[in-house]
Formats: sequence, structure tokens, C-alpha cells
Amino acid sequence: MQRMIQFDQVTKRYPGGNEALKNLSFTIDTGEMAFLAGHSGAGKSTLLKLVAGIERASSGSVIVSGQNLSKLRSSQIPYVRQHIGMVFQDHKLLFDRSVFDNVMLPLDIIGFDRRDAARRVRAALDKVGLLSKEKSMPIRLSGGEQQRLCIARAVVHRPSLLLADEPSANLDRAYALDIMELFKSFHQVGVTVVISAHDETLMEDYGRRIIRLKEGQFAA
Amino acid sequence: MKHFLYLNWQSARQALVKILRQPFGSLLTLLMLSIALALPLSLYLTVSSIQEWAGRLTATPQITLFMEQSAEEADLAAVSSTLTKHPRIQSYSFVGKKQALSDLEKRNGLPGLSDGLTDNPLPDAFVVTPKTLEPHELEMLQKELSGLPMVETAQFDARWAKRLYGMVEMGKQLTWFLGAALGIALVLVTHNAVRMQILARRDEIEVAKLIGAPDSFIRRPFMYHAMWQGLLAGLAAWGLTSWLVITANPAIHEFAQLYNEAVQLRGLSPVELLVVLAISALLAMLGARLASDHHLRQIQPR
Ligand SMILES: Nc1ncnc2c1ncn2[C@@H]1O[C@H](COP(=O)(O)OP(=O)(O)OP(=O)(O)O)[C@@H](O)[C@H]1O
Ligand SMILES: [Mg+2]
Repeated sequence: MQRMIQFDQVTKRYPGGNEALKNLSFTIDTGEMAFLAGHSGAGKSTLLKLVAGIERASSGSVIVSGQNLSKLRSSQIPYVRQHIGMVFQDHKLLFDRSVFDNVMLPLDIIGFDRRDAARRVRAALDKVGLLSKEKSMPIRLSGGEQQRLCIARAVVHRPSLLLADEPSANLDRAYALDIMELFKSFHQVGVTVVISAHDETLMEDYGRRIIRLKEGQFAA
Repeated sequence: MKHFLYLNWQSARQALVKILRQPFGSLLTLLMLSIALALPLSLYLTVSSIQEWAGRLTATPQITLFMEQSAEEADLAAVSSTLTKHPRIQSYSFVGKKQALSDLEKRNGLPGLSDGLTDNPLPDAFVVTPKTLEPHELEMLQKELSGLPMVETAQFDARWAKRLYGMVEMGKQLTWFLGAALGIALVLVTHNAVRMQILARRDEIEVAKLIGAPDSFIRRPFMYHAMWQGLLAGLAAWGLTSWLVITANPAIHEFAQLYNEAVQLRGLSPVELLVVLAISALLAMLGARLASDHHLRQIQPR
């Protein structure tokens, strides 16, 4: 099995001395679906941000699909991110453009042909059940719809690695299950999926590996 | 490659549409830029028009050699052969005293003037056309010719030509100075405009960076925006100067006619127009590049 993600003795210290991750080592295989659990402040978002190169490790090495992010120049980080789909905890939607245009952005960035791109965008919106709202502005969407829009944007360019930071937060259980099923369907077509949540009850049903964090370290 | 060009063409088009859609936002910057360009351009046209006119004046600068009254045939022949051999002299003509007198009679409408004179008071003269136009060299030549045997004086109004030449030179330098200063202003104005745009679109840039946009992607619309702004400003400046030329020319023409001169303010030639457009587009893009290099680095999403 090839490794998609490899952490070697990774420590992340934020400016101000706050140690969010302490000497973590683990791997996630290509094609694996794994969960990341822990209470608020445990370091889940920090871990995912290190994988996406949004934050850099203070020490240790983070290797994503064979590339050591700690050694990469910052001008090369964007090209690593283009292979990653990320569902952000705070969505990071653009409220001045339509649902359709939000999902188009990743394809614009990788320079996808415009006509094929429109088809891809609609397919992604269809998958999350938002096709009928493609012309709406994100501000008019409910919290759950915004979450799903964020997922559509994360998968539209068919990344090989999908990182979802609390994608089911603030959703009722039925919606949360829907979203989990959605991620499972990506996993089934070969995408490596890492999902974080502070509520473990959803994860346990899936029988996948759960990485438990507590104050930046593995929980017992 | 084809795809890359297509993407660039897309951004270029979108940037132009954006400018045209919000004409008032862009208008102020555009106005500033085009005035900044029009100032040195008008000066340039004025100076080069004067230079053209001055060139026509001094294209046939002539030095007149007046011979001594006592000069004889042999002296005339000696001077004549010196002039023929001189490397700095294009041509010369001889005006004998008799011809000079009859010219004078004709011109002043005084036939029979010579009848009242026992002696012809006019000297023999050579009218020399030098090869050079440069005032300093002309002066040297004049000095040299006035030193020839039996030459009384060599007349050439060098001071006047020199002054004109000096003024044209100064005008040229002023044009360069003004051009450089306002070129820098153009860079700064676009720098500032792009800075404002980047700050206004901070959220968008942050999100784009988060999902893998390289700086070149984020920079592209700003670069094209600047390019169009530079081109439009160049065109507007061309319009302003053309308007200046068209409105000022009748007055200049009338004034010049008082002195029997045909002076005209010229417009930009097509090649010059292209150069102006290219320079203004490049300077604007330079400003955009500097601004985006500086400010995009500061936007680091968390
Ligand atoms: N930008 C930052 N600057 C300083 N400290 C930070 C920053 N981001 C996170 N931290 C700190 O790092 C620790 C881990 O934060 P992180 O966001 O990774 O937790 P989390 O597990 O995602 O929590 P939550 O479930 O609330 O999202 C926290 O103590 C937090 O205060
Ligand atoms: Mg978090």
C-alpha cells in the first residue's frame, strides 16, 4: 500500500507559543477512509491544515503523496493543493457569486475547458442535491446547504485526497448521515478521505480507523 | 499551449468587460493616466514640430562672403577654387557687383539708380551653402572663410541659429524629464489602483489561495486590467493631443504667416502612437505587477 499522508514527529506551535500538535507520527494509506476525532481545541483543524499546506509544521516532516511539504517552496504549495479537496470548517464560500460560480472556481484555477467545466459543476451540484439552486447566491442557502455546497466545491476537480473538517457540524442526524454516505461514495471510487468530527457516534457505525486527538496528542 | 492562450484571452476579455461595466470607477484613474501621458506627449510634439521647422530653416543656411572693393579677377578665382575644394561646402554661387546692383534696382523698383553713381559701391560676393547644419560647425566655417585673402566679411547669423538650436535641445531634455516623471507617476497610479482592488477582493483571493490558486492565477486579472487601462489611457492621451493639435494649428498658422513662415504642430505618427500605447500598457502592467507581488504575499489564508 502506498502512503497518502505521512507525519513524522510533527509538532505545530502557533505564534504565541501555543502547541497545537505535539510530536505526532502516523500514516494514512492511499485509498483509505479515516476519521479524526477529538474535543474542541484538540488540534483536528490544525492537522488537516498541515496536510493541505495551509500551515507549516514547526518541526518534523509532513509528506503528502510523496512530497515533503516542509521542504517545498511556498510557490509550489498551490500545486499540491490542486490535488486536494478540502471542506472547510467555516465553509469559506464566496458570497458575491452564485452557487454555480463557487463550484466553478477550482476548475478555473486548474484551467479546465469552460464547456466541460460547466458539465462537471452540474454533476457535482447534482451529487450534493443542489442542482436546482445553481443560480442562487450562497447567502440564500440554509446552513446545511452551504455545507453541501462546500463539499461540491471540494470534489468538483476530482481530487485524489479529500479532507473534510467537521462537515456534519450543526446538522441533524439524518443530514449528517447523508453527508457521510456521500463521502463513502467518493472513497469507493478510490479517493483517500479524512473526516474530522468531535462527535464520535457517527463514525463508529462505519468501522473505519479513528485517529483520536487530545490536546495535540493521540488519546489513549 | 493553445489552452494557456485561451485562458489568457479569457482573462483579458473579462478584465476589459469589467472596465467597461464600471466606467465611472475606472474613469477617474483613466483620466489621471491619460493626462499624465498627454503632458509629455504634447511637449514632445511641440518640440519636434519646432525642430522640423528649424531644420527646414537651417537646411539651407548660407554664408555670404563679401569681397574687398579692391579684389581682382585673380583673387576671385583663388577664393572660388578654395570653395570648390572645401570638404564642408556643398555648393556656392557668385554674385558679381554688377548683378548685385541690378538686383537691387529691380527689387527696390529704382531703375536708373546706377546712373547717378560713378562707382558701383557694392562688393563682389560668394553665397556659400555648407554641408553641415550644426551651429557650432557653421560658426567655425564662417570664421575660416572670413580669413580667406581679400575677403572682407563672411556673414552668417550664427547666434540666432544657435539660440534656436539650444532651445530645441532644452525642450527635448524637458520632454525626457517630464516623460520619465510622469511615467513613474503612471506606474504609481496603477500600483495604487491595483492595491485597492486587491484589498477589496481580499476574501476572494484568500479562498482562491486555499483551493490551490498560484499567484500567477490571482495576478492575471489585475495584470490584464492594468494592460487595458494603459492602452485606453494611451488612446485617450492620443485623443487629447490630437485635439490640441487640431485646435491650436489655425492660430499657429496665422501667427507664422505674419513672418512668412509655414509652421505647423504635427500629430503623432502611427508608429509613434504604437510606441506610446506599448509603453503606457507596459508601465501600467509594471505597476500592477509590483502591487500584486507586494500585496499577494501579505494575504496568507489561515
Ligand atoms: N491561528 C492560530 N493561532 C494561535 N493558536 C491557534 C490558531 N489556530 C488554532 N490555535 C490553537 O491550537 C489549538 C488547536 O486548534 P484547532 O483549531 O486545531 O482545534 P480543533 O480540534 O479543530 O477544534 P474545533 O473542534 O473547535 O474546531 C487550540 O488550542 C487553538 O486555540
Ligand atoms: Mg476545527
